[in-house]
Amino acid sequence: MKQWFAAGLLALAVGYTLYGLGTLTLVTASGRPAAGFFPLVIGALLVLACAINLWGDIREWRHAQRTGITPVHLADPEAEAKADALGVDAHAIDGGPEFGRDVLVVFLYICGFVALLNVLGALLAMLVFMLAYLFTFNRAHPVSNVIYSLALPAFLYGLFKILLNASLPLGPLGF
Amino acid sequence: MLAEIASNLSLGLSIAASPEGFLFLVIGAFLGMVVGLFPGFGPAAGIAVLIPMTFGLQPTIAIIMLAGIYYGSMYGGTITSILINTPGESATVASTIDGYPLAKKGRAGPALVMQAIASFFGGTIGVILITALAPSLANFAASFGPSEYFLIIAVGLLMLTTMMGDNKFKGFISALIGFAIGTIGVDVMSGQQRYTFGSPELIGGVYFVAVAIGLFGIGELLHCIFNGQHRQPATRLRISFRDKEFWPSRQDYYESRFTFWRGSAIGFVAGVLPGSGATLGSIIGYSVEKKIAKDPEKFGMGEMRGLVAPEAANNAASAGAMVPLLSLGIPGSGATAVLLGAFLMWGLQPGPLLIVNDPEFVWGLIASMYLGNMILIAMSIFAIPLFVKFLDIPYVNVVPVIVLLCVIGAFAINASIIETWILVLSGLVGFAMKSYGYSPAATVLALVLGGMAEETFLQTYIISQGTMSLFWERPVSLVLSILLLMIIAVPVTLSLMNRAKGATEPG
Repeated sequence: MKQWFAAGLLALAVGYTLYGLGTLTLVTASGRPAAGFFPLVIGALLVLACAINLWGDIREWRHAQRTGITPVHLADPEAEAKADALGVDAHAIDGGPEFGRDVLVVFLYICGFVALLNVLGALLAMLVFMLAYLFTFNRAHPVSNVIYSLALPAFLYGLFKILLNASLPLGPLGF
Repeated sequence: MLAEIASNLSLGLSIAASPEGFLFLVIGAFLGMVVGLFPGFGPAAGIAVLIPMTFGLQPTIAIIMLAGIYYGSMYGGTITSILINTPGESATVASTIDGYPLAKKGRAGPALVMQAIASFFGGTIGVILITALAPSLANFAASFGPSEYFLIIAVGLLMLTTMMGDNKFKGFISALIGFAIGTIGVDVMSGQQRYTFGSPELIGGVYFVAVAIGLFGIGELLHCIFNGQHRQPATRLRISFRDKEFWPSRQDYYESRFTFWRGSAIGFVAGVLPGSGATLGSIIGYSVEKKIAKDPEKFGMGEMRGLVAPEAANNAASAGAMVPLLSLGIPGSGATAVLLGAFLMWGLQPGPLLIVNDPEFVWGLIASMYLGNMILIAMSIFAIPLFVKFLDIPYVNVVPVIVLLCVIGAFAINASIIETWILVLSGLVGFAMKSYGYSPAATVLALVLGGMAEETFLQTYIISQGTMSLFWERPVSLVLSILLLMIIAVPVTLSLMNRAKGATEPG
């Protein structure tokens, strides 16, 4: 997946640069940089950096394919890379399985939650999200799931809507 | 000079120690501890999500509370590093190296107390240095022009990316993504719309709080799920400060007596440098401590100095990162970038003039940090059984709290469903960035600073009539330009030298 993310970034970088070149003015009539100048500099650097990055990720992937060694799952790649650069071994937190499917399910539930905000209103959308999520990942405790699904949205709704007077989407029932 | 500082601090204390100030400081510190405790919800997301909750408060009180969350999370983040080998946030990764082995040796109590003392020490030294340096730096910075500001931003972001070791290209890309998002909206110089695709919602640009909550909140949360945090059972731990084994030994204090100072000094310097932040500060603190130790082989096996150094450093760094924020208006880390957003939301313009125009705010905030560190050390030691109790909550039940807070918090700021979708998209991008070694902090920093970088670059161009000579004609600019070139040239040269050395070595 790493190389696909890198490829996606490269595609976005190319799109950003080409769209900017097509729609923005690069220099003014007097020869000064215009609205498109800075985006063009960023776009060019982004395309170059993303291309090099993709090349590196593909090489890494090919190496893993050739040798059959799956890289160890890193718990915090950014912090660990910084530690590596300073000669500190912070890899004791690594290892363990990956739960990509669960990430996808939770992400889809979040999308559903946001899509329902304007349809059901904040309170009901929160309730639906909680029930869906808890009955997927915490099936062993149905009663506590229901209580929790009622209590947390009610508390947050009260906090944001009543106490802080924040504007939250209203549903067909008026809340 | 000392009399002036004392008078400023007493002004600040009159605000921070007022009943309202103190109450919200305690709330902020407590929330910070809790935010730090749960993996997947770091200080940046914590501050961003809780911004809407401060709407009814006075600006100074609101920022005092948000800052309490920021430095409080450094205390809380280490509890899980020590007890369950899971850093509450990136700045406490280095603390797991010796913290967890100490707990495995049955020394969890002393480790928790020493981390609290080190955090207090680092945090307080940091605030003392802010008190001494922020006004002088603000004075000095008053003479800065656009070229200096542009170079400071460039140096900060380049340092952040080059310090990412093998992932430096990913760090560089992360910063460029932030700049690219920052170009969306109306160009302030010409008034031309950029990348708005005709949408009126995008004319004002992408609102960074939604991006920050997405990258740091939803992104981190999805990463924790990817790591299987939600599948782990609750950790039932019991710790009491009444136990004899809870307290550190005399030897622990004696062996770490210089480590407190070294960690604090290193952390503060790392924090002041824009872009470095607490993560790097703690790793450098650990690395230096191990290098100068006579017995480096003990590090990683449960050595108290290996815990004290990063803890003092990350707290001093979190204080240090406030210096460029208050005196230059340039945040030093992802969390301070979100704080900058909160400042702007309250109509406060950080920079050299802030301390002159709004001394009650600046000194109120600084004084609150002294009090906050005192509150936090008391909480970290005497309320430790309470915070450890939080770990009884299975992570599967923590996930919906974070999701609801992020989504409702993002919507509540501007009542915008587009911004809520931006949060969701940023969450997905943040997850991928976190999982594949990119830097969400660099993205948020560049997003916040993008407009300023572009404006100052163009001003430099116009003032120097297209020659860019301001970059080397002014003394501070010249120093910064040389530093910038060194940051680029040194790693490249070292890499080429290593490659050449590898090629000449036999076998």
